[in-house]
Amino acid sequence: MIGILVVTHGDVARELVNALKMIVGEQERVLALSIDWEVDVDVAKGSIGRAITQCGRKDVLVLTDMFGGTPTNLVLPFADDDVEVVTGVNLPMLIKACQIRNRPLAEVAQIVCEKGRESVQIAGSLLKPGGGA
Amino acid sequence: MKRKTLKVVNPLGFHARAAAKFVAEASRFDSQISVVFKDKEMDGKSILGLLLLAAPQGGSIQVRANGRDEAEAIKALTALVAAGFGEVPRA
Repeated sequence: MIGILVVTHGDVARELVNALKMIVGEQERVLALSIDWEVDVDVAKGSIGRAITQCGRKDVLVLTDMFGGTPTNLVLPFADDDVEVVTGVNLPMLIKACQIRNRPLAEVAQIVCEKGRESVQIAGSLLKPGGGA
Repeated sequence: MKRKTLKVVNPLGFHARAAAKFVAEASRFDSQISVVFKDKEMDGKSILGLLLLAAPQGGSIQVRANGRDEAEAIKALTALVAAGFGEVPRA
């Protein structure tokens, strides 16, 4: 079972994980890490390393808020065969990740990425007969 | 295959927590399970799929189950939907 770590600016990560747990219930090894706006790089890297360890160290999916943003940039040095990073986290991606976390890490990352894209919809067109999905 | 048409009774409709409960229940069964609303059919074991149905209160959904435990699955899922996913008191 893969570990899941959400890393974002501000408190977004914590609240995303809170919302996730409201929907799917308590989850083991699903952690949120918020990167302070006034971040000290070494402190933040230490926090990320510890959080990845708490998620199991091996087979950890790290979901970050935005490619190119500081949280993602700080996480990228940790990416290797055991740690996969997917950017642009949203609630549907988190729910999907929790539902398929017994699959191999690379496969989970691929599916979560696809589901994240599919989950962005113009709601009105989806509700029209024959529209969307 | 067994099918059953049901009415969504809880005020919030087939929303996220309801879909999660449905999937948790559906996943207890080996049978393939799907839910149909209007012209869409979605995997009954996928929260995100069920959300895309956007079935509101009063909406008529059809639950389909196909497999060795299809009868038990339909019975359990019917009870869950009829109970408003545990969100509304039974009339």
